[in-house]
Amino acid sequence: MRRTRPAAVLAVAALALTTACSPGSSAAPGAGQPVSGGSLTWAVETEPITFNPHQYAQAKARLLVWNTFEALLTHDDRGGYLPWLATGYEASPDGKTYTFRLRTDVSFTDGTKFDAAAVKANVDQFAVEGYNPAVQAVQLRNLDRVEVVDPATVAVHLKQPDVLILDFLSSPQGAQVSPKSLSQAKNLKAGGPELAGTGPFILDRYTAGQEVHFTKNPAYQWAPANAGHTGPAYLDEITYRFLKESSVRVGALTSGQVQVIEGVPATDEALITGNDQLTFARGLNSGSAYSYYFNIAHAPFDDIRVRQAFREAVDVDAVLQGVYRGSATRAWSVIGPTSPFYDRSLEKTYSGDTAGANRLLDEAGWTTRDADGFRTKDGKRLTVRLVQSAPFVRDRRDVLAQAVQAAVKQSAGIDLNVALVDQGTATQALTDGAYEVFDNSRADTDAGAALNLLLHSAGAINRTGVKDPELDRLLEEGQASGDQAARNGTYQRVQRLTVTDQALILPLYAPADQVAAAVTVGGLGFEPTAGVPGRAYDLWLGK
Amino acid sequence: MIRAIARRAGSGLAVLWAAATAAYLALLAAPGDTVDSIIGDGADSPQIRAQIIAEWNLDRPAIVQYLDYLWRAAQGDLGRSYLLQRPVRDVIGDQLAPTLRLAVAAAVFGVVLALILAVVTRGRWARRASSTAELVLVSTPPFLIGIVLLSVFSFRFGMFPVSGDRGWAALVLPAVTLGLPIAGVLAQVLRDGLDRALDEPFAVTARARGLTERSVLIRHGLRHSLLPAVTLLGWLSGVLIGGSVIIEQVFGRPGLGQVTLQAVSSSDMPVVLAVVVLAAAFFVVINTAADLAYLLIDPRLRRS
Repeated sequence: MRRTRPAAVLAVAALALTTACSPGSSAAPGAGQPVSGGSLTWAVETEPITFNPHQYAQAKARLLVWNTFEALLTHDDRGGYLPWLATGYEASPDGKTYTFRLRTDVSFTDGTKFDAAAVKANVDQFAVEGYNPAVQAVQLRNLDRVEVVDPATVAVHLKQPDVLILDFLSSPQGAQVSPKSLSQAKNLKAGGPELAGTGPFILDRYTAGQEVHFTKNPAYQWAPANAGHTGPAYLDEITYRFLKESSVRVGALTSGQVQVIEGVPATDEALITGNDQLTFARGLNSGSAYSYYFNIAHAPFDDIRVRQAFREAVDVDAVLQGVYRGSATRAWSVIGPTSPFYDRSLEKTYSGDTAGANRLLDEAGWTTRDADGFRTKDGKRLTVRLVQSAPFVRDRRDVLAQAVQAAVKQSAGIDLNVALVDQGTATQALTDGAYEVFDNSRADTDAGAALNLLLHSAGAINRTGVKDPELDRLLEEGQASGDQAARNGTYQRVQRLTVTDQALILPLYAPADQVAAAVTVGGLGFEPTAGVPGRAYDLWLGK
Repeated sequence: MIRAIARRAGSGLAVLWAAATAAYLALLAAPGDTVDSIIGDGADSPQIRAQIIAEWNLDRPAIVQYLDYLWRAAQGDLGRSYLLQRPVRDVIGDQLAPTLRLAVAAAVFGVVLALILAVVTRGRWARRASSTAELVLVSTPPFLIGIVLLSVFSFRFGMFPVSGDRGWAALVLPAVTLGLPIAGVLAQVLRDGLDRALDEPFAVTARARGLTERSVLIRHGLRHSLLPAVTLLGWLSGVLIGGSVIIEQVFGRPGLGQVTLQAVSSSDMPVVLAVVVLAAAFFVVINTAADLAYLLIDPRLRRS
C-alpha cells in the first residue's frame, strides 16, 4: 500500500520550494518583493493548435494550458507526485486500483463544482468516439473504469497494473475541464474561452495568429504545495503574443514591447546575458533526449558494428559546440539527464573514437572507398538516410544534421544523406522503411512513457524496428511497478541495453527551453520535472 | 449589359470551380495521406487510424469526397478543419479582415509611392538613383525588408509596435514591407509608360497648346502610362496573397497567410480548398476591377 502522508507531502513540498527555484531561475534582482497587479506581455514561439488540454500534443503549449486547467496531481522536482486537485491517493496492493481523495473547496470558473463526478466525466470523455483516439489507445490503454465512490473520492480501476496512469493524471491530457464545458462547448476540441477550468487564470480572448489573453481568477485558492505562493495570481492579466520569428521576439524584448520571451536562439543568448536590464534562464526538458535512432530492419544498420562505427565517428561535443556554441547540453542516454531514471554511468562510455569506427567498418566488410571518399562494399556506397519532417524541425536540427553529416564523412567515410521534406513525404518514407536514421525527442514527464512508444516492439513510433522480448519485458515491468527504486533499476537496464549494448541509439543533446525577461519580472521558473517554462501563477511585475 | 455581367459571373464561377478542383487534385497527389497529417507526431495505431478515418469520412472514394465537397461548398458549408477542429467558415472568417486590411494598405501604399516615384524622378540622376533603389527593393526578400524595418523603426526607435492587428500603427510596417516591392515594379512600368507617352504626337500637341510640362505629364502622360500598370493588377494580387504569408510570420500578425501555410503543410483539405477558392475569387474580382479601370482610363474603350 502506498500512501501519501500529509507530513511527508509537506516535507517534499518545502524541499521543492527551496530547490525548484535554484538553477538559473532565482528571482530577478530588479523585481524585488512580489507585488499584486499589473499586466504582462509574453512572446511565445508556438501557437497551440488547440487550447483543450485533453487534445494537448505540443510541449510548447504547457505554459498556456496550466494557466486555465489543473490536474489531480503535479510533479515535484524529482519525478514524484504532489497533490493538486487531489489531496492524496492510494494504490491497491495489486496495483490495479488508484483511489484519489479530492479537494472539496474547488470550483471551475463557470461556477461548476469540482468533485468526483467531474473527474469521471473528464476521463470518460476520452471514450467518446473520435475525441482523442491517441490518448485512448496509449495513456488509457489499461483503464477499465472510473468509479465515483463519494463526491470527494474517486477510484480509477485498471485492467492491469500501470503506474503511468499517475503520469496521465498529472499531465495536460488528464487536466480537469468543467463537465458543463464538455457537454456544451460548441468547439470542444479547439478549446478557448468556451472551456472552463479551475486554474488561476481565465482564458477570455483568443485571436488566432496573434495572441491569447488571460485574466486573473480571483477565487483561486488551491495552489499546489510547490507553487511560489498561495491565493490568487499576482498578475491581473497576461497576454501571450505569438511571434514565430526568434529575432523578432528578441527585438520585442530588448525594445520593451514585451516583458518575457521564450525560445531564445543560441546566437542571441550573448545579447541577452550581456544586457543588465534582462535576465536569462534555461531549463532542461524531461522525457527522451534528442537522439538518432538506427533502423536495424535492413542493411547497413542491421550490423551492430556499423551502428557502433557511426556512433564513434561523431564527436558529439565538437558537433554541438559548432552548432549551438556551447549552449546545448550533451546527452549520453536516450533518457534526458534531468529524469530520475537517467543512468549517469553511461557518460563518457562511447563516442568520438575515429580509429575504432574505422576498425569496426573494416571488420564489417566496408573496406573499399569510392571516388568521393565514401566507404563501399560490393560496389555499394555506405549510405544512410535521415528524413526530417520540416514542421517538426526545431533548435536548428537541420543544421545539426549537416554537422553530423560532415563529421561521419570525414572521420569514417559514411554517407549520411539528409533530406528535409514536408510532413507527408516524411511519413511516407517512414512507412516504407526508406530511412536508416530517425531523429526524435519527446517531452514526456515520465520517461517511461517515451520509451514505451520508441522502444517497445509494439510501440507506436518504434522506428528502430527492434523486437527484443527482454526489452519488452523490462519496459512492461517499468510501467507496472509502483516502486520508484525498482523502476530506476529497470530503466537503467533499458538504457544499457539500447544505448551501449545494442547501439540502437545515438543520443545527441538534451532539449532545453530558454526564458528571457526584463529584470522587473519576478517569479519566472520552469515546471519541475517537465523542465518547460512554468505557468504564470507565480509571476509578478516589479516597479 | 446584363448579358455581359452574366457572362462575367459565369466565367468567374468556372474559375472558382477550376481552382478548387486543381487544389483538390494537387493535395491528392501530394505524398503521405491525410490520416498521417492528422496524427502528426503523435501515437499511431490501426485503431487510431480507423477512428480518424471514420470521423472524417476518409474511407469514401476521392471522387465522392470531392463531389460531396463541391455540393456542400455550393450551399455555403465549407466543412470543418481537420487540424484545428473548428468550422472552416470560422477559421477563415476570423482571419480574413486582418489580411484584407494588410493587402489594401500595402496596395495603396505601393501604388501611391510608385506614382510619386515615376512622376518626380524625371531627371537623369533622380531616375537612375530611383531605378537602382527599385531594383534592389524588387530583388530583396520581403522577409529581410521586414526584419530590417522592424529593427530600425520598432526595436531601435520604438515608433511602431511589432506585433498584431492592434490599430493603425501596427499596420504601417507590414504594409510598407509588402508595398515596397509592389512600388518597385509599378514605378518602373509607370516611368517607361510616361516616357513613351511623352514622345507621342498628342503630347507634342498638348505642349503646343501651351500646357505646362507638369500638366502634360499628369493629365496626359500619366493616363497613358496607367494602362500597362493596370494590367499588372493581377500580378499585384498574387504578390499580396503570397507575400502575406511571410509578412504575417515576421510581424506576428493574424491572417490567412499563416492559416494557409499550416493547412497546406498538414494536408488540412477543407481549409486549403476554402483558401484556394477565396484566392481565386479575389483574382476574379481584381481582374474585373482591372477591366473596369481600363474603361475609366481610356475613353475610347467606352465607346466601342
